[in-house]
Amino acid sequence: MVHHQDTMFRSADMSMVQLYIANEIGREIVNALGELGQIQFRDLNSEVTAFQRTFTQEIRRLDNVERQLRYFYSQMEKAGIPLRKIDLDVDTLAAPSASEIDELADRSQSLEQRVASLNDSYETLKKREVELTEWRWVLREAGGFFDRAHGNVEEIRASSDNDDAPLLQDVEQHVQGQNGDAERSFSVMNIGFVAGVIPRDRVAAFERILWRTLRGNLYMNQSEIPEPLTDPTNNEAVNKNVFVIFAHGKELIAKIRKISESLGADLYSVDENSDLRRDQIHEVNTRLGDLGNVLRNTKTTLDAELAQIAQSLAAWMVIIKKEKAVYQTLNLFSYDHARKTLIAEAWCPTNSLPLIKSTLHDVNNRAGLSVPSIINEIKTNKTPPTYQKTNKFTEGFQTIINAYGTAKYQEVNPGLPTIVTFPFLFAVMFGDFGHGFLMFCAASAMIYWEKPLKKVRDELFSMAYYGRYIMLMMGIFSMYTGLIYNDVFSKSLSPFESAWRWVVPDGWTDGQTITAELKGSYRYPFGLDYMWHGTENDLLFTNSYKMKLSILMGWCHMTYSLCLSYINARHFKTPIDIWGVFVPGMIFFQAIFGYLVFTIVYKWSIDWYAIGKSPPGLLNMLIYMFLSPGTIEEPLYPGQAAVQIFLVLIAVVQVPILLFLKPFYLRWEHNKARAKGYRGIGETSRVSALDGDDDDSNTLDGRASLASDGEGVAMITQDIGDEEHEEFEFSEVMIHQVIHTIEFCLNCVSHTASYLRLWALSLAHQQLSVVLWTMTLAIGLGTTGVLGAIMIVIAFFAWFFLTIAVLVVMEGTSAMLHSLRLHWVEAMSKHFMGDGIPFEPFSFKQMLEDDEQAAEIS
Amino acid sequence: MANGWSILIGFVVVALACAAGWFLSPKGETQTIWRSSLILSFASCYLMWVITFLAQWHPLIEPRASGLRSHAVYENYRPA
Repeated sequence: MVHHQDTMFRSADMSMVQLYIANEIGREIVNALGELGQIQFRDLNSEVTAFQRTFTQEIRRLDNVERQLRYFYSQMEKAGIPLRKIDLDVDTLAAPSASEIDELADRSQSLEQRVASLNDSYETLKKREVELTEWRWVLREAGGFFDRAHGNVEEIRASSDNDDAPLLQDVEQHVQGQNGDAERSFSVMNIGFVAGVIPRDRVAAFERILWRTLRGNLYMNQSEIPEPLTDPTNNEAVNKNVFVIFAHGKELIAKIRKISESLGADLYSVDENSDLRRDQIHEVNTRLGDLGNVLRNTKTTLDAELAQIAQSLAAWMVIIKKEKAVYQTLNLFSYDHARKTLIAEAWCPTNSLPLIKSTLHDVNNRAGLSVPSIINEIKTNKTPPTYQKTNKFTEGFQTIINAYGTAKYQEVNPGLPTIVTFPFLFAVMFGDFGHGFLMFCAASAMIYWEKPLKKVRDELFSMAYYGRYIMLMMGIFSMYTGLIYNDVFSKSLSPFESAWRWVVPDGWTDGQTITAELKGSYRYPFGLDYMWHGTENDLLFTNSYKMKLSILMGWCHMTYSLCLSYINARHFKTPIDIWGVFVPGMIFFQAIFGYLVFTIVYKWSIDWYAIGKSPPGLLNMLIYMFLSPGTIEEPLYPGQAAVQIFLVLIAVVQVPILLFLKPFYLRWEHNKARAKGYRGIGETSRVSALDGDDDDSNTLDGRASLASDGEGVAMITQDIGDEEHEEFEFSEVMIHQVIHTIEFCLNCVSHTASYLRLWALSLAHQQLSVVLWTMTLAIGLGTTGVLGAIMIVIAFFAWFFLTIAVLVVMEGTSAMLHSLRLHWVEAMSKHFMGDGIPFEPFSFKQMLEDDEQAAEIS
Repeated sequence: MANGWSILIGFVVVALACAAGWFLSPKGETQTIWRSSLILSFASCYLMWVITFLAQWHPLIEPRASGLRSHAVYENYRPA
């Protein structure tokens, strides 16, 4: 079998391979294949749950290591230590050995313990510090209360001793008593007190509850702590108040304590004696100082530890992620206990087989194993996955197609023509040299600074970045169509001599209506003649031109797409699809719309005034071609009636052909095969997993090997039951064909009309840019003097900003969506089957790209 | 300079460009992409140009303007 080069035209040739790998080097081989990223393993243990698989233990262990690494990362973020990032494109980490992984696991285990214990002690110390700070505040604030309260002891006592005491007592009487009684304690009066701190937002509730439960038998004093205190458990700043509550009797005090504690207040002991209090404050301050030292030390140690981890954390994470992926892949393999080999099945591009073989060989040699790793290509009737090889230029375009559906294996890949048709149809709608140039510049900048911009993680920007090559092509083609439309920011260029000249009547003055005439046989060579710019009937002319342009472009695009279905039929060797679908469809389409295109071009090429005839309307012609075939009201060319009758007839005849030929042919073919005794492929076939050479090993290994062989065959055949080899059912084929016929015939009409969006969008774009010019820059340019100078600056910035925001970004997005639709619906419906399975190779690069966490560290 | 023959001359030029695109595309993995993209681009651009040219070949209406100032008109005119 000759393997030709893989191109983007259709999926690469894929091969199903079977690998026999010695158990000892399974990990190394999978690692090497993951770096290669060219092979997609099939799950051979689909009946086994995730927990029962061979390497579940290893994966669990790696999950734990990953969790520890994430813990370090979160600790580093908390401490504000920057991570040394790695560039995944540059730093290729050598595959670690199993012992290195063990070492890493042990290391991260011990590091986790160390970091955790440091963290714990830091937290405890912090808590202690907060408590001490609170106590200091209580001592300081409560001291103030006591000093004030002592001054009023007599008052308090008097009011508590004697209920009959008059409210207004002689103040003089107590003035001298104040000093003498200053040291008299509250305990003498049986007044107890509780001091502490409480979060400020709970103060109101606290007061209310106290008032209600103690029925007002309390004296409460509080003051705000000016600085917020941090809660060490969650690092939140909390505002707190210091309170001191005086009350009468032990029971009440106990009650107050309970209430305070239940409301989250922290109580601290305060001595009422001011000397003792001073000592307390002193002690608290010393303890705080000591604690601060210890805290600082702990913090530095922790930070140093984390900073050291930060140096290599990113690399560790990548290693662990890869290792986990390796074991997950190994879980897909089946294990032959007798021969101690791992058996794997995989899809890979046929052209990559030599590369894979040499990789296996290398790993085997390095390990110095005598048992070779074997890779066998096996024949199968399973549908291979579709693999469209892309590079950074084509990737975006292929994504446009893949977003709609995965192409069937080996069918024509519409991604290839999309590289041109997508940006070109966009440009037909976005035709303006200036706007195209802006887009081109933006795309070029993104391509020039490709590497640094890759790291930008803004969602909108990365979308534009991903489509930078699409934007580049859109910009280039928009510049071209802008020149054709002769629009540069809604103004026109005049590089060539116009084909028109004004006819100036006698006595013409400025502003009067004036018409132009052709100079002769000379025509404007490139694009739209600038003499049309700003004329009264400008739109009349460009509308007719752009409408016909849309129809012609649509016809070309659809004919091209329809031809791809012919290539598909040729490739899949189904001639009935050529004769029963492609040919009648093509005739039908060309008889109606090909003819319309012909008449448009024909009408353009005739000089109607020179031959003295009036030009016929094409729309009416097309309508009457079907309503009353044979009657021509305004003749376009001689013999038109006969041609049109013929075309209508031939188009109508295609409908039954399209409808019946394929289903009846298929039925005939099926019956013929049945008559000869053949059966469907899937009905009896069994694919042999193991080639002939395995028979030898059977004789060597005896029964155990036989059992494993049975397993091998089962492995391959397991999916055959799932695969759909449906019975030939005539009714189903017929219904399918009826739907296809109706869809195709109706779509010929609606899809052609759908291309008129090219006209509508380009008209809207051009008119919008005219309006924007007249609303901004034209006003700025129309003003003179100093005001004019200021106006033009403002007007320019308004115009430039709106041009980018509205005309380039918004209009560009809308034109892009319309172009997308024209590809997905109008073009791809003509040939695209799209029932393929995408090829998803086991690739470390891809895995790390998809991993969000890996994105954070690179 | 430019008249009906331009359509054919343009076609020949574009056909030559397409042929050049086919044969001069760099060899290797991207050859198919080069060939397809170059030829499709040439064809699309030619189509766009030729349609525009055809639409102005035998125009059915002529430009009519009011509000023009004399210096603009007398750049390119014929007295009646």
